[in-house]
Amino acid sequence: MIELEHLTKDFKEIKAVDDLTLEVPRSRTVGFLGPNGAGKTTTIKILTNLISSSSGRAVLNGVDVVTSPKRALANVGAVVETPEFYPYLTPMETLHYLGRLRGMSPNDITRRGKDVLDEVKMTEWKGTRIGKFSKGMKQRLAIAQALLHEPEILILDEPTSGLDPRGMVEVRETIKSLKKQDYTIFMSSHLLGEVQEICDSAALINRGKLLIYDTIEHLKTVTKVAKLEVTTDLDVPPQIMSAVNSMPNVRSAEAVNPRTFVVTFDGSPDQRADLLLAIQKQGLRVTGFSPVGLPLEMMYMELIKESR
Amino acid sequence: MAEEREATYEIPSDLAQIPTVWRYEILRYFRSRRLLAALAVVGVILSVIYLLPPLYDSPYSGTDTEVSLHIEFDDLGSGIPEYVGSINRTAIDGGTLEVFVDGEPYPSLDGVNWVFSSREAGGLGFNAILFMPNVIMQNVSEVTATYEWYTPPESFASNFIGFVSILVIICVTAFAADSLVGEFQNKTGYLLFPNAVKRGTLFAGKFAASVTMGVVVVGLYYGVVAALSIVSARGVDDDYMLSFLLAIEYLIAATAIAYFISSLLKGTTGALVLTFFLLFMILPIVDGVSMFSGVKIEGSVTFAAGAISYILQDPYPADSMMDVGMGMEIHSFYPSPETAAIVMLLYAVIGCMLSMVLFKRKQLAG
Ligand SMILES: Nc1ncnc2c1ncn2[C@@H]1O[C@H](COP(=O)(O)OP(=O)(O)O)[C@@H](O)[C@H]1O
Ligand SMILES: [Mg+2]
Repeated sequence: MIELEHLTKDFKEIKAVDDLTLEVPRSRTVGFLGPNGAGKTTTIKILTNLISSSSGRAVLNGVDVVTSPKRALANVGAVVETPEFYPYLTPMETLHYLGRLRGMSPNDITRRGKDVLDEVKMTEWKGTRIGKFSKGMKQRLAIAQALLHEPEILILDEPTSGLDPRGMVEVRETIKSLKKQDYTIFMSSHLLGEVQEICDSAALINRGKLLIYDTIEHLKTVTKVAKLEVTTDLDVPPQIMSAVNSMPNVRSAEAVNPRTFVVTFDGSPDQRADLLLAIQKQGLRVTGFSPVGLPLEMMYMELIKESR
Repeated sequence: MAEEREATYEIPSDLAQIPTVWRYEILRYFRSRRLLAALAVVGVILSVIYLLPPLYDSPYSGTDTEVSLHIEFDDLGSGIPEYVGSINRTAIDGGTLEVFVDGEPYPSLDGVNWVFSSREAGGLGFNAILFMPNVIMQNVSEVTATYEWYTPPESFASNFIGFVSILVIICVTAFAADSLVGEFQNKTGYLLFPNAVKRGTLFAGKFAASVTMGVVVVGLYYGVVAALSIVSARGVDDDYMLSFLLAIEYLIAATAIAYFISSLLKGTTGALVLTFFLLFMILPIVDGVSMFSGVKIEGSVTFAAGAISYILQDPYPADSMMDVGMGMEIHSFYPSPETAAIVMLLYAVIGCMLSMVLFKRKQLAG
């Protein structure tokens, strides 16, 4: 279990993390979602004892990372940014170094090391000095070392960043397979689709503040914001556009081309039906009326916009 | 990966983690070119210092054949007046000594004719033949001697040990200066620090590894010089081990200084350069100033390091002052071995403590 309580980190003027309170329950996979600069890495760095917090608490399995980092991190595997490796060691030697620090016997490390390198498809490189491995290889190795000691908690900072599309798919598959093994996973990402695909819940953060934290399922149902594309058989005059703009629950209406406009709408399905009727009352002959884009994406964009 | 996840592993104690850190740091140095470079320096320096003097007509040992002795009549305090023929070499092999009087062999006859006297005096050997007062000595025209001579271990070792303080600086630059800062600059800290291991443990393992590498290189140097000394100087100076211990102490102090610099700076290059120049130029310049100002700066670690070679000298050199006219005085200061040992210890302890605190507080930001 991971608990963040009123966690705050100030970098001179910037509040990178702002009074963040969040709990990742055991055996859950939580996506830590936010655009670049939202404060994801900063939060994870505090959780992994790389930087200190300005105030608040970060607790892993009931142990405060700030006051007792060694005990708190005992059962944790982490990938923070794309770590660099010691270029003079091979992947297997790296695992032996880290495994010994984590209390594994050489035999355990060799056995587990084969498994985890296999898991991230690095087996063929296990005896090659890391030296100039590509970023993708390092990223996969980073995941392998995080899994090595079968920790209860996995903390992954943008685990697919820097990978090519195939690598991204592979890493996502790896994480999905880990979910079946009872890991508690806290994974940051700026990609909504990735979080939706992998995680049970999403915690949305922007400018260091937690905006929303809920299960993916629940988020999907509560999402009311939608973009609706409206197509007509004739050009839409400007006065009708402004009329649409001021209709109830309409956030905005923008012309895409003379006969098509997109309405950003924040309302229930019932209210949406009313919207269609109201548009038709303006004398427009509607030939198409359909949602565009995914509702969660809309919400993500909207929330980020609002919190600016 | 389909297997059940069992209870995870028990994290070792801090003390048990130190050797792991140490081992992989050592592996790093063994796989880097730095060890090779340091060994190459040792090889070159040893060869140059050892081979150059014989090449320039100054061998380590040899045989003087029928050297004419200047005979003086002297009372050496034994009460018996003696004829003394002094030999102009610091160390000679008494067993090979043959004396000729007017070209004819003149054996010692177990001390009846003469005895060989050898002792250390003022850092210089004093070798002389003491002739018993007898008839022959009063009317000879020439006394010659043939003997094997060699360089005494003290001066042999002094040739080499003067370089040790530079070797220590080279070792510290190669094996210590970027040890801490590298984890931040090369971002390997992102891999290492999130483990269940205290920063203090990492510090201890790294420090031990840096010192180990230095001890290997400096120890090799002392070892080879000792072997050469046995071959070329018929033994090893009695203070040689003390010199080695002081060298190791200096190594530890300099490593602590390097770690301190390295925990202050952001870049590896800066840490390397500053460490090297501080020990190689800045502090020695401070020491040099004391020659003219007449203020003995005992707190300088490089001044203290002078003891590494002075300790070989018997007797230990004493502070002196020379008036060079026009109101100028040049002072020669020597650290006492005890003070030197304490000063270096203080540098080691304080440097370690400060750099450990800084390393613990240093953030892996940016
Ligand atoms: N070392 C630092 N010094 C100053 N500002 C920083 C530092 N690290 C991060 N920041 C700032 O904190 C904010 C959050 O950054 P970060 O946590 O890296 O975001 P994310 O990982 O979500 O992209 C950004 O505005 C970033 O510029
Ligand atoms: Mg980030």
